[in-house]
Amino acid sequence: MVVQGIKVATTGRNGVGAFILQCKRLEFFYCDWAGSSKGMNTFLRTNLQKFAKANPAIEILVSPRPARHPVIRGHYINGREKAICVKNMKEAQILQKAELLRDANGEKLRRVVKPVKSVNDSVRGIWSPYHKPGGGGMHV
Amino acid sequence: MSIKGLRLERWSGQLLAAPRHRSRAPCCIRQQQQYLASSTTRSISASHAVRYSAVPKQDEFVDEDAEDGLELPLEEEHQPKPPTSTAPTKLPTESTKLAALHARLGLPKKLPLQTLARTLIDPSADSNPDFNNAQLSQLGGSIISYHISEWLLVTYPRLPMSVLFAASYAYHGPQTLQLVGREWGVDCAAAPGPEVDPGFLQFERTTQTPMARRSIGLARGDKDYYRRGMSSRVVYDDDFGDTIPKKGESAKILSPEHAYSSFVKALVGSIYLHSGSKPAKAFVKQHILSRHLQINRLFQFKDPERELARLCAREGFEHPVARLLSETGRHSRTPVFLVGIFSGKDKLGEGSGASQPEARTRAAVQTLKAWYLYSPGKDVSLPSDMEGEGKEGEWEPVHIDIGEIIH
Repeated sequence: MVVQGIKVATTGRNGVGAFILQCKRLEFFYCDWAGSSKGMNTFLRTNLQKFAKANPAIEILVSPRPARHPVIRGHYINGREKAICVKNMKEAQILQKAELLRDANGEKLRRVVKPVKSVNDSVRGIWSPYHKPGGGGMHV
Repeated sequence: MSIKGLRLERWSGQLLAAPRHRSRAPCCIRQQQQYLASSTTRSISASHAVRYSAVPKQDEFVDEDAEDGLELPLEEEHQPKPPTSTAPTKLPTESTKLAALHARLGLPKKLPLQTLARTLIDPSADSNPDFNNAQLSQLGGSIISYHISEWLLVTYPRLPMSVLFAASYAYHGPQTLQLVGREWGVDCAAAPGPEVDPGFLQFERTTQTPMARRSIGLARGDKDYYRRGMSSRVVYDDDFGDTIPKKGESAKILSPEHAYSSFVKALVGSIYLHSGSKPAKAFVKQHILSRHLQINRLFQFKDPERELARLCAREGFEHPVARLLSETGRHSRTPVFLVGIFSGKDKLGEGSGASQPEARTRAAVQTLKAWYLYSPGKDVSLPSDMEGEGKEGEWEPVHIDIGEIIH
C-alpha cells in the first residue's frame, strides 16, 4: 500500500450539468389601507399569478403588513436574503424588482475586479513552485 | 433479459404500497386517506390506527455468518419499533416548498410530490419503512455508486485501489452529498413531527436507540491488522473502503451529513423507479458527476522512487535513472534544480526542487501520476450507454489495466 488516497469533496459548479436557480423564495408584503401599496395591490391581483407560473422553482408567499410600506423579500440558497421596498411604485416597476430579486444569486454586491474566476490551476503556472501567493508551498 | 422489457412502474407501485399488504392502497393515496381521517375526526390516534394497523413482521432473513462475527447491516432496521411520528398535518401536494423543489431540480413529471416528500423523511424521523426513505436510499445509493464507479474505471483505468476509493468518496461520499442537498436549497427541520412542512428534511439528531447502519456490506469480525491490504476492503467495507461499524459501536448522534446523503440517494432511487434508468443516469450525471474534482490531487505517495523502479521492471522498461537537467543558484539561498527521470533514452518525467533529492522525488511523483492518470478520453462510451435495443454491435471494449504496481 504505497499510494494512499486523500479524502476530499468535489465542488459544485452551478450551470455545468444542472442549473439551480439561487432564489428559492419570494415574499410579497402589502398593506390594504396605505396609498404606497396601491401599485403592489394591483400587482398582486393582476401580475403575480403569471409571474409565479413562469417561475415554478420559486416558493411565493403573500402576506399583509398593515400600516407599512410594501416590500419584496427574496431568500437565497446561500442563506442570505434581500429585501426591496417598493413603495409608490407602479406594477411594471414592481415586476422589474421581482425579476431582479429572482435573477440575483444572493451574494453581497461587490465590484468585480477580475472578471474570470476559475477553480482550475493557472495554465501559465505560478512563478515559483515553492512560493504560493497564499503561503503553504507546493505539495508533492 | 433486456432492460427495456422491465416494467419499472410496477416495481415502483409495489414499493410505494406496503409490501406485505397488497390489498392496501398505494402510499400516496393512503396518505390522503390518513389526512382525511385525521382532519375529520381531529384525533391523532385515529390516524395512528390507520397508519399502524399492522406491525411489520420480523423479516425472514437467514444470517448464516452471524456466528463468525459477520453480519448483514440491514437486519436491525427490520425489527419492530414503536411508531415515532404521526401522519403529517399538511399534504405533500399542498406544500409550496415541495413544489418549488420539484421544479428547481427539473424532476420528471412522473415523479409525484408524495414520493418526493417521502425521500425527505429519514428513518430516524419515522421508523416505519413504508413511510421513510430507507429503501429508496438503498436503491439510489447503488445506482449512484454504479454510475460513478463505471465512469471512473473507464476514464481512469489505471487508478490504484486506494485512489479509486478516494475518488468515489469525493464524488458520492456523505460529505459531498450533503453539499449537493444543501445546494439544492433543501433545509432541515429543527425536529421531526407532524406539523413540519413536507418540504423540509426531517431527521432526529439524537436517538436513544442505536441508528441502523446506512451502507451495505459486511462488518468485519476479525482483528484490525488484517486490514493492511486493499483487496479485502472490496469485500468487507463500504463503497469508500471504510470499515462498517459493528452492532454495538454505531453512533447515537445522527449527523445532518447522513440525513442529507440518504435524501439525495433516495431521490435518485425514486427517479429510477418512477421514470426509469435513463433519467436516473442523466440526473446522476448532471448533479453529481458534473462536480469539479482534481483527481491528481488525491495521490499521496510513500516511496515514489521505489514504486517507479518496480513499474519499470514490470513493464520491461530500462531501470529509471534521475539526471540533472539544469540548475541555478547552487550556492545561493534559493537554489533550483531541474531533474529528469530517464529510462534508457526516454525521458519519463521531470521535476524541480530546492535540493536534488527533492527534485528527484518530485520527478518520480510526476512520472507515476502520468502513468496512473492515463485516460483514453473523457467521452469514452460506458457500459451503461449500451442499454436498450440495437446497440449491442457498437460496443468497443474498454482498457482494463493489469493492476497496481506494489500492493
